[in-house]
Amino acid sequence: MAESPLSVHDPNSEGSQDMKPSPQQQKQMEQAYAQMKRKMSMQEIGKKIKHKIMVLSGKGGVGKSTVSTGLALSLAQRGHSVGILDIDITGPNVPKMMGLDGRRLHVEEGRIHPAQGHLGVKVISMAFLLEDEDTPVVWRGPIKLGAIQQFIGDVEWGQLDYLIIDFPPGTSDEPLTVAQSLPDIDGMVIVTTPQDVALLDSRKSITFSESLKVPVLGVVENMSGYTIRGNGPSNSQVTISGPGGKSHNTTTDEEGNFSVTLDIFKEGGGKSTAEEFGVPFLGALPFDPGFVRGGDDGVHRIVSEPEGESAIAFSKVVESIMEQIGSSSGPGLEII
Amino acid sequence: MSSNPPELIRLERRDLDMLLTYESGDQFTVTYDDIRYSCPCAKCSPLRNEDESSKSLRRQIEALSPEKPKVKPVGKYALAFEWDSGCSSGIYRFERIWALANNQDPDDGRAYVHGVW
Ligand SMILES: Nc1ncnc2c1ncn2[C@@H]1O[C@H](COP(=O)(O)OP(=O)(O)O)[C@@H](O)[C@H]1O
Ligand SMILES: [Mg+2]
Repeated sequence: MAESPLSVHDPNSEGSQDMKPSPQQQKQMEQAYAQMKRKMSMQEIGKKIKHKIMVLSGKGGVGKSTVSTGLALSLAQRGHSVGILDIDITGPNVPKMMGLDGRRLHVEEGRIHPAQGHLGVKVISMAFLLEDEDTPVVWRGPIKLGAIQQFIGDVEWGQLDYLIIDFPPGTSDEPLTVAQSLPDIDGMVIVTTPQDVALLDSRKSITFSESLKVPVLGVVENMSGYTIRGNGPSNSQVTISGPGGKSHNTTTDEEGNFSVTLDIFKEGGGKSTAEEFGVPFLGALPFDPGFVRGGDDGVHRIVSEPEGESAIAFSKVVESIMEQIGSSSGPGLEII
Repeated sequence: MSSNPPELIRLERRDLDMLLTYESGDQFTVTYDDIRYSCPCAKCSPLRNEDESSKSLRRQIEALSPEKPKVKPVGKYALAFEWDSGCSSGIYRFERIWALANNQDPDDGRAYVHGVW
Protein backbone atom coordinates (compact mmCIF):
# COMPACT_ATOMS: atom_id res chain seq x y z
CA MET A 1 0.00 0.00 0.00
CA ALA A 2 1.26 3.42 -0.87
CA GLU A 3 1.45 5.75 2.05
CA SER A 4 -1.02 8.53 2.12
CA PRO A 5 0.55 11.93 2.39
CA LEU A 6 -1.98 12.65 5.10
CA SER A 7 -0.98 9.87 7.37
CA VAL A 8 1.30 12.10 9.40
CA HIS A 9 0.75 10.11 12.53
CA ASP A 10 3.05 7.24 11.83
CA PRO A 11 4.42 6.48 15.30
CA ASN A 12 7.56 4.99 13.81
CA SER A 13 8.63 8.14 12.14
CA GLU A 14 7.21 10.58 14.62
CA GLY A 15 9.47 13.55 15.08
CA SER A 16 12.53 13.94 12.98
CA GLN A 17 15.90 12.54 13.95
CA ASP A 18 17.46 15.88 14.72
CA MET A 19 14.67 17.10 16.99
CA LYS A 20 14.18 14.02 19.18
CA PRO A 21 16.97 12.41 21.10
CA SER A 22 18.02 8.99 19.92
CA PRO A 23 16.97 6.09 22.11
CA GLN A 24 20.52 6.01 23.39
CA GLN A 25 20.53 9.68 24.26
CA GLN A 26 17.15 9.25 25.85
CA LYS A 27 18.52 6.49 28.02
CA GLN A 28 21.50 8.56 29.03
CA MET A 29 19.25 11.42 29.96
CA GLU A 30 17.07 9.16 32.03
CA GLN A 31 20.09 7.77 33.78
CA ALA A 32 21.46 11.19 34.50
CA TYR A 33 18.10 12.27 35.81
CA ALA A 34 17.80 9.21 38.03
CA GLN A 35 21.27 9.87 39.34
CA MET A 36 20.42 13.46 40.11
CA LYS A 37 17.32 12.39 41.94
CA ARG A 38 19.37 9.92 43.93
CA LYS A 39 21.88 12.55 44.88
CA MET A 40 19.09 14.74 46.11
CA SER A 41 17.50 11.97 48.08
CA MET A 42 20.88 11.15 49.63
CA GLN A 43 21.00 14.68 50.94
CA GLU A 44 17.47 14.24 52.16
CA ILE A 45 18.58 11.09 53.99
CA GLY A 46 21.33 13.11 55.54
CA LYS A 47 18.76 15.40 57.07
CA LYS A 48 16.11 12.89 58.03
CA ILE A 49 18.42 10.45 59.74
CA LYS A 50 19.97 11.91 62.86
CA HIS A 51 22.78 9.44 63.40
CA LYS A 52 24.50 7.05 61.05
CA ILE A 53 26.82 4.39 62.38
CA MET A 54 28.92 2.01 60.31
CA VAL A 55 29.68 -1.43 61.69
CA LEU A 56 32.86 -3.00 60.34
CA SER A 57 35.16 -5.90 60.99
CA GLY A 58 38.47 -7.04 59.58
CA LYS A 59 37.06 -10.38 58.47
CA GLY A 60 33.75 -12.23 58.25
CA GLY A 61 32.21 -14.35 60.95
CA VAL A 62 33.27 -12.27 63.93
CA GLY A 63 29.71 -11.18 64.64
CA LYS A 64 29.35 -7.99 62.67
CA SER A 65 25.71 -8.68 61.86
CA THR A 66 24.99 -9.91 65.36
CA VAL A 67 26.36 -6.63 66.67
CA SER A 68 24.56 -4.52 64.04
CA THR A 69 21.20 -6.07 64.80
CA GLY A 70 21.89 -6.06 68.53
CA LEU A 71 22.72 -2.36 68.52
CA ALA A 72 19.66 -1.58 66.43
CA LEU A 73 17.37 -3.53 68.75
CA SER A 74 18.96 -2.13 71.86
CA LEU A 75 18.48 1.40 70.55
CA ALA A 76 14.90 0.56 69.62
CA GLN A 77 14.34 -0.72 73.15
CA ARG A 78 15.22 2.74 74.36
CA GLY A 79 12.50 4.18 72.18
CA HIS A 80 14.58 5.39 69.26
CA SER A 81 13.43 4.90 65.69
CA VAL A 82 16.04 2.76 64.05
CA GLY A 83 16.94 1.34 60.64
CA ILE A 84 19.52 -1.17 59.47
CA LEU A 85 21.10 -1.05 56.05
CA ASP A 86 22.71 -4.41 55.33
CA ILE A 87 25.11 -4.00 52.46
CA ASP A 88 27.27 -6.98 53.28
CA ILE A 89 27.04 -8.60 49.89
CA THR A 90 29.37 -11.36 51.04
CA GLY A 91 26.62 -12.74 53.25
CA PRO A 92 23.68 -10.50 54.01
CA ASN A 93 22.26 -12.24 57.06
CA VAL A 94 20.52 -9.38 58.81
CA PRO A 95 17.00 -10.37 57.61
CA LYS A 96 17.38 -13.79 59.24
CA MET A 97 18.32 -12.21 62.54
CA MET A 98 15.45 -9.76 62.30
CA GLY A 99 12.78 -12.35 61.53
CA LEU A 100 12.49 -11.19 57.92
CA ASP A 101 13.78 -14.24 56.17
CA GLY A 102 12.63 -14.68 52.59
CA ARG A 103 11.47 -11.09 52.13
CA ARG A 104 11.79 -9.50 48.73
CA LEU A 105 12.28 -5.93 47.78
CA HIS A 106 9.19 -3.83 48.23
CA VAL A 107 9.03 -1.05 45.69
CA GLU A 108 6.28 1.52 45.49
CA GLU A 109 6.26 4.44 43.09
CA GLY A 110 9.93 4.05 42.40
CA ARG A 111 10.87 4.11 46.08
CA ILE A 112 12.15 1.16 48.07
CA HIS A 113 10.33 0.59 51.32
CA PRO A 114 12.14 -1.08 54.20
CA ALA A 115 10.70 -4.19 55.81
CA GLN A 116 9.90 -3.87 59.50
CA GLY A 117 11.45 -6.38 61.83
CA HIS A 118 11.41 -6.87 65.58
CA LEU A 119 10.63 -3.76 67.64
CA GLY A 120 9.73 -1.91 64.46
CA VAL A 121 13.31 -1.73 63.25
CA LYS A 122 13.36 -0.94 59.52
CA VAL A 123 15.51 -3.23 57.45
CA ILE A 124 16.97 -3.00 53.98
CA SER A 125 19.25 -5.83 52.98
CA MET A 126 21.11 -6.92 49.92
CA ALA A 127 19.48 -10.27 50.63
CA PHE A 128 16.19 -8.78 49.45
CA LEU A 129 17.72 -8.67 46.00
CA LEU A 130 18.70 -12.32 45.90
CA GLU A 131 16.44 -14.73 44.08
CA ASP A 132 17.35 -17.61 46.27
CA GLU A 133 19.47 -16.98 49.27
CA ASP A 134 21.13 -20.38 49.13
CA THR A 135 22.56 -19.64 45.74
CA PRO A 136 25.72 -17.67 46.16
CA VAL A 137 25.73 -14.66 43.94
CA VAL A 138 28.88 -13.36 42.42
CA TRP A 139 28.63 -9.62 42.44
CA ARG A 140 30.89 -7.84 40.08
CA GLY A 141 32.46 -4.55 41.06
CA PRO A 142 30.32 -2.14 39.04
CA ILE A 143 27.14 -4.04 39.80
CA LYS A 144 27.69 -4.08 43.49
CA LEU A 145 28.58 -0.44 43.72
CA GLY A 146 25.61 0.46 41.57
CA ALA A 147 23.32 -1.67 43.70
CA ILE A 148 24.57 -0.13 46.91
CA GLN A 149 24.22 3.42 45.70
CA GLN A 150 20.79 2.74 44.37
CA PHE A 151 19.81 1.23 47.68
CA ILE A 152 20.92 4.20 49.64
CA GLY A 153 19.39 6.73 47.35
CA ASP A 154 16.09 5.04 46.71
CA VAL A 155 15.10 3.90 50.17
CA GLU A 156 12.24 5.65 51.88
CA TRP A 157 13.45 5.51 55.46
CA GLY A 158 11.30 8.24 56.86
CA GLN A 159 12.57 9.95 60.01
CA LEU A 160 15.13 7.89 61.89
CA ASP A 161 17.12 8.52 65.03
CA TYR A 162 19.73 5.93 64.08
CA LEU A 163 20.74 4.09 60.94
CA ILE A 164 23.09 1.17 61.50
CA ILE A 165 25.02 0.10 58.42
CA ASP A 166 26.30 -3.48 58.28
CA PHE A 167 29.31 -3.36 55.98
CA PRO A 168 31.09 -6.10 54.12
CA PRO A 169 34.12 -7.27 56.08
CA GLY A 170 37.58 -6.01 55.24
CA THR A 171 38.59 -2.90 53.45
CA SER A 172 37.03 -3.14 50.04
CA ASP A 173 35.60 -0.36 47.92
CA GLU A 174 32.05 -0.50 49.19
CA PRO A 175 32.60 1.37 52.45
CA LEU A 176 34.30 4.14 50.57
CA THR A 177 31.42 4.51 48.17
CA VAL A 178 28.87 4.48 50.92
CA ALA A 179 30.75 6.82 53.18
CA GLN A 180 31.13 9.21 50.29
CA SER A 181 27.51 9.09 49.28
CA LEU A 182 25.99 9.26 52.76
CA PRO A 183 26.55 12.62 54.34
CA ASP A 184 27.65 13.01 57.98
CA ILE A 185 28.40 9.52 59.15
CA ASP A 186 28.92 9.73 62.91
CA GLY A 187 31.55 7.08 62.98
CA MET A 188 32.45 3.45 62.79
CA VAL A 189 32.17 0.66 65.29
CA ILE A 190 34.76 -2.04 64.84
CA VAL A 191 33.89 -5.57 65.86
CA THR A 192 36.64 -7.96 66.89
CA THR A 193 36.83 -11.23 68.69
CA PRO A 194 39.53 -11.84 71.26
CA GLN A 195 41.51 -14.02 68.88
CA ASP A 196 40.97 -11.60 66.05
CA VAL A 197 43.12 -8.95 67.62
CA ALA A 198 46.01 -9.46 65.28
CA LEU A 199 43.77 -8.16 62.54
CA LEU A 200 43.66 -4.85 64.27
CA ASP A 201 47.24 -4.41 63.36
CA SER A 202 46.91 -3.82 59.71
CA ARG A 203 48.29 -0.82 58.03
CA LYS A 204 45.76 -1.08 55.28
CA SER A 205 42.87 -0.75 57.64
CA ILE A 206 43.85 2.38 59.44
CA THR A 207 44.81 4.19 56.29
CA PHE A 208 41.44 3.13 55.05
CA SER A 209 39.63 4.47 58.10
CA GLU A 210 41.37 7.74 57.53
CA SER A 211 40.67 7.95 53.87
CA LEU A 212 37.02 7.59 54.80
CA LYS A 213 37.35 10.55 57.15
CA VAL A 214 35.01 8.82 59.50
CA PRO A 215 36.04 8.71 63.15
CA VAL A 216 36.34 5.40 64.93
CA LEU A 217 33.70 5.38 67.65
CA GLY A 218 35.38 2.41 69.19
CA VAL A 219 35.98 -1.30 69.38
CA VAL A 220 33.47 -3.94 70.51
CA GLU A 221 34.84 -7.25 71.62
CA ASN A 222 32.46 -10.02 70.66
CA MET A 223 32.29 -13.58 72.01
CA SER A 224 34.45 -12.53 74.87
CA GLY A 225 33.55 -15.00 77.59
CA TYR A 226 31.10 -17.75 78.35
CA THR A 227 29.03 -17.72 81.51
CA ILE A 228 28.04 -21.02 83.02
CA ARG A 229 25.54 -21.37 85.81
CA GLY A 230 24.62 -24.10 88.19
CA ASN A 231 23.64 -24.81 91.72
CA GLY A 232 24.64 -26.82 94.71
CA PRO A 233 24.47 -26.58 98.48
CA SER A 234 24.11 -22.96 99.57
CA ASN A 235 27.19 -21.00 100.60
CA SER A 236 29.57 -23.67 99.46
CA GLN A 237 32.76 -23.59 97.46
CA VAL A 238 32.60 -24.59 93.80
CA THR A 239 35.60 -25.29 91.60
CA ILE A 240 35.26 -25.39 87.85
CA SER A 241 37.98 -26.45 85.50
CA GLY A 242 37.85 -24.08 82.57
CA PRO A 243 39.54 -24.04 79.20
CA GLY A 244 43.29 -24.45 79.24
CA GLY A 245 43.17 -26.28 82.55
CA LYS A 246 42.55 -23.04 84.41
CA SER A 247 40.41 -23.57 87.48
CA HIS A 248 37.85 -21.09 88.70
CA ASN A 249 36.62 -20.87 92.26
CA THR A 250 33.37 -19.39 93.32
CA THR A 251 30.81 -19.77 96.08
CA THR A 252 27.14 -20.49 95.80
CA ASP A 253 24.71 -17.95 97.17
CA GLU A 254 21.92 -18.40 99.71
CA GLU A 255 19.83 -20.28 97.17
CA GLY A 256 22.78 -22.38 96.10
CA ASN A 257 23.19 -20.70 92.69
CA PHE A 258 26.50 -19.79 91.14
CA SER A 259 27.72 -18.40 87.88
CA VAL A 260 31.22 -18.21 86.43
CA THR A 261 32.38 -16.51 83.27
CA LEU A 262 35.02 -18.49 81.44
CA ASP A 263 37.41 -17.03 78.93
CA ILE A 264 36.98 -19.15 75.89
CA PHE A 265 39.48 -17.21 73.96
CA LYS A 266 41.88 -14.78 75.48
CA GLU A 267 39.68 -12.16 77.08
CA GLY A 268 40.43 -8.48 77.07
CA GLY A 269 42.11 -8.40 73.68
CA GLY A 270 39.68 -5.85 72.33
CA LYS A 271 40.25 -3.62 75.30
CA SER A 272 44.01 -3.61 75.13
CA THR A 273 43.92 -3.10 71.39
CA ALA A 274 41.61 -0.16 71.78
CA GLU A 275 43.90 1.32 74.41
CA GLU A 276 46.98 0.75 72.35
CA PHE A 277 45.55 2.50 69.34
CA GLY A 278 43.89 5.24 71.27
CA VAL A 279 40.33 4.49 70.28
CA PRO A 280 37.53 4.01 72.79
CA PHE A 281 36.67 0.54 74.02
CA LEU A 282 32.90 0.23 73.78
CA GLY A 283 32.44 -2.99 75.70
CA ALA A 284 32.47 -6.75 75.52
CA LEU A 285 29.66 -9.07 74.46
CA PRO A 286 29.56 -12.53 75.97
CA PHE A 287 29.56 -15.70 73.97
CA ASP A 288 25.90 -16.59 73.96
CA PRO A 289 24.75 -19.73 72.16
CA GLY A 290 21.32 -18.13 72.04
CA PHE A 291 22.48 -15.72 69.37
CA VAL A 292 22.99 -18.61 67.02
CA ARG A 293 19.62 -20.11 67.80
CA GLY A 294 18.04 -16.69 67.56
CA GLY A 295 19.78 -16.21 64.24
CA ASP A 296 18.15 -19.35 62.97
CA ASP A 297 14.58 -19.00 64.08
CA GLY A 298 14.60 -15.28 63.57
CA VAL A 299 14.17 -14.26 67.17
CA HIS A 300 17.06 -12.21 68.33
CA ARG A 301 18.26 -12.83 71.86
CA ILE A 302 17.56 -9.24 72.78
CA VAL A 303 13.95 -9.70 71.79
CA SER A 304 13.45 -13.07 73.45
CA GLU A 305 15.23 -12.04 76.65
CA PRO A 306 15.13 -8.27 76.92
CA GLU A 307 16.48 -8.38 80.47
CA GLY A 308 19.03 -11.10 79.81
CA GLU A 309 22.77 -10.87 80.14
CA SER A 310 23.32 -10.28 76.44
CA ALA A 311 20.70 -7.56 76.29
CA ILE A 312 22.40 -5.84 79.23
CA ALA A 313 25.80 -6.13 77.56
CA PHE A 314 24.40 -4.57 74.39
CA SER A 315 22.79 -1.83 76.36
CA LYS A 316 26.17 -0.94 77.85
CA VAL A 317 27.75 -0.80 74.40
CA VAL A 318 24.91 1.43 73.23
CA GLU A 319 25.55 3.74 76.16
CA SER A 320 29.22 4.04 75.26
CA ILE A 321 28.32 4.77 71.65
CA MET A 322 25.80 7.40 72.62
CA GLU A 323 28.40 8.94 74.84
CA GLN A 324 30.79 9.14 71.91
CA ILE A 325 28.38 10.69 69.47
CA GLY A 326 26.09 12.40 71.93
CA SER A 327 26.03 16.18 72.13
CA SER A 328 28.91 16.26 69.76
CA SER A 329 30.42 19.52 70.89
CA GLY A 330 31.08 18.13 74.35
CA PRO A 331 28.86 20.20 76.60
CA GLY A 332 31.52 22.38 78.16
CA LEU A 333 33.95 23.23 75.40
CA GLU A 334 33.93 26.68 73.89
CA ILE A 335 35.99 27.07 70.73
CA ILE A 336 36.77 30.57 69.57
CA MET B 1 50.31 10.39 80.67
CA SER B 2 47.27 10.22 82.86
CA SER B 3 44.37 8.62 81.07
CA ASN B 4 41.94 11.10 82.56
CA PRO B 5 42.93 14.64 81.71
CA PRO B 6 40.95 17.48 83.25
CA GLU B 7 38.12 18.83 81.15
CA LEU B 8 39.04 21.35 78.50
CA ILE B 9 36.51 24.17 78.70
CA ARG B 10 37.85 26.80 76.37
CA LEU B 11 40.04 26.84 73.30
CA GLU B 12 41.06 30.20 71.92
CA ARG B 13 42.64 30.17 68.48
CA ARG B 14 45.32 32.83 68.31
CA ASP B 15 47.61 33.61 65.37
CA LEU B 16 50.32 31.04 66.02
CA ASP B 17 49.08 29.07 68.97
CA MET B 18 46.01 28.25 70.97
CA LEU B 19 45.24 29.17 74.52
CA LEU B 20 43.66 26.29 76.38
CA THR B 21 41.69 26.76 79.57
CA TYR B 22 40.95 23.72 81.70
CA GLU B 23 38.22 23.19 84.26
CA SER B 24 40.59 24.06 87.09
CA GLY B 25 41.19 27.46 85.53
CA ASP B 26 44.73 26.51 84.54
CA GLN B 27 45.80 27.87 81.18
CA PHE B 28 48.25 26.43 78.68
CA THR B 29 49.43 27.32 75.21
CA VAL B 30 50.11 24.86 72.43
CA THR B 31 51.62 26.07 69.19
CA TYR B 32 50.05 25.06 65.89
CA ASP B 33 53.44 23.68 64.83
CA ASP B 34 53.41 21.34 67.81
CA ILE B 35 49.87 20.27 67.06
CA ARG B 36 50.71 19.53 63.45
CA TYR B 37 53.95 17.82 64.30
CA SER B 38 52.20 15.46 66.69
CA CYS B 39 49.47 14.46 64.23
CA PRO B 40 48.32 10.98 65.25
CA CYS B 41 47.33 9.86 61.76
CA ALA B 42 48.76 6.81 60.09
CA LYS B 43 50.84 8.82 57.67
CA CYS B 44 52.42 11.30 60.10
CA SER B 45 52.88 9.10 63.17
CA PRO B 46 55.38 6.62 61.73
CA LEU B 47 57.53 9.54 60.60
CA ARG B 48 58.20 10.33 64.25
CA ASN B 49 59.65 6.88 64.87
CA GLU B 50 63.04 7.67 63.37
CA ASP B 51 65.17 10.73 64.13
CA GLU B 52 65.80 11.58 60.48
CA SER B 53 62.22 11.41 59.28
CA SER B 54 61.06 13.06 62.46
CA LYS B 55 63.30 16.09 61.88
CA SER B 56 62.24 16.30 58.29
CA LEU B 57 58.57 16.20 59.33
CA ARG B 58 59.25 19.07 61.72
CA ARG B 59 61.00 21.08 59.01
CA GLN B 60 58.19 20.50 56.55
CA ILE B 61 55.67 21.72 59.07
CA GLU B 62 57.66 24.80 59.99
CA ALA B 63 57.90 25.65 56.31
CA LEU B 64 54.13 25.80 55.92
CA SER B 65 52.62 29.25 55.89
CA PRO B 66 51.02 30.16 59.23
CA GLU B 67 47.28 29.70 59.42
CA LYS B 68 44.52 29.31 61.97
CA PRO B 69 42.89 25.89 61.75
CA LYS B 70 39.23 25.09 61.97
CA VAL B 71 38.74 23.12 65.17
CA LYS B 72 35.97 20.57 65.39
CA PRO B 73 34.97 18.29 68.23
CA VAL B 74 34.95 14.57 67.41
CA GLY B 75 32.46 12.82 69.63
CA LYS B 76 33.28 13.66 73.20
CA TYR B 77 36.75 12.30 73.10
CA ALA B 78 38.75 14.25 70.60
CA LEU B 79 39.30 17.29 68.40
CA ALA B 80 40.04 17.49 64.71
CA PHE B 81 42.03 20.32 63.16
CA GLU B 82 41.40 21.33 59.60
CA TRP B 83 44.13 23.18 57.74
CA ASP B 84 44.30 24.58 54.24
CA SER B 85 47.74 23.06 53.78
CA GLY B 86 49.36 20.00 55.31
CA CYS B 87 47.70 17.04 56.97
CA SER B 88 44.20 17.28 58.46
CA SER B 89 43.59 13.57 59.02
CA GLY B 90 44.50 13.27 62.67
CA ILE B 91 41.92 12.89 65.37
CA TYR B 92 43.43 14.28 68.58
CA ARG B 93 42.17 12.69 71.74
CA PHE B 94 41.91 15.07 74.68
CA GLU B 95 44.67 13.08 76.39
CA ARG B 96 46.95 13.96 73.52
CA ILE B 97 46.15 17.64 73.76
CA TRP B 98 46.67 17.55 77.51
CA ALA B 99 50.09 15.96 76.99
CA LEU B 100 51.03 18.68 74.51
CA ALA B 101 49.81 21.36 76.89
CA ASN B 102 52.17 19.93 79.51
CA ASN B 103 55.09 19.68 77.11
CA GLN B 104 55.05 15.93 77.30
CA ASP B 105 55.55 13.47 74.51
CA PRO B 106 52.02 12.63 73.34
CA ASP B 107 53.34 9.36 71.92
CA ASP B 108 54.60 8.52 75.40
CA GLY B 109 57.97 7.52 74.02
CA ARG B 110 56.45 4.62 72.14
CA ALA B 111 57.13 3.97 68.52
CA TYR B 112 54.04 4.08 66.41
CA VAL B 113 52.58 0.76 65.35
CA HIS B 114 50.12 0.72 62.54
CA GLY B 115 46.60 -0.41 62.76
CA VAL B 116 43.21 0.13 64.19
CA TRP B 117 41.92 -3.26 63.33
N1 LIG C 1 28.41 -13.39 70.99
C1 LIG C 1 28.10 -14.48 70.28
N2 LIG C 1 27.87 -15.65 70.89
C2 LIG C 1 27.59 -16.77 70.17
N3 LIG C 1 27.51 -16.81 68.85
C3 LIG C 1 27.73 -15.67 68.18
C4 LIG C 1 28.04 -14.45 68.84
N4 LIG C 1 28.21 -13.49 67.91
C5 LIG C 1 28.01 -14.09 66.72
N5 LIG C 1 27.71 -15.39 66.86
C6 LIG C 1 27.44 -16.35 65.79
O1 LIG C 1 28.53 -16.40 64.91
C7 LIG C 1 28.09 -16.49 63.57
C8 LIG C 1 28.61 -15.32 62.75
O2 LIG C 1 28.01 -14.12 63.24
P1 LIG C 1 27.59 -12.95 62.25
O3 LIG C 1 27.01 -11.88 63.08
O4 LIG C 1 26.77 -13.46 61.13
O5 LIG C 1 29.04 -12.54 61.73
P2 LIG C 1 29.46 -11.58 60.54
O6 LIG C 1 28.31 -10.71 60.21
O7 LIG C 1 30.65 -10.86 61.08
O8 LIG C 1 29.84 -12.48 59.41
C9 LIG C 1 26.57 -16.55 63.61
O9 LIG C 1 26.17 -17.86 63.58
C10 LIG C 1 26.25 -15.92 64.95
O10 LIG C 1 25.03 -16.38 65.47
MG1 LIG D 1 27.08 -10.66 58.45
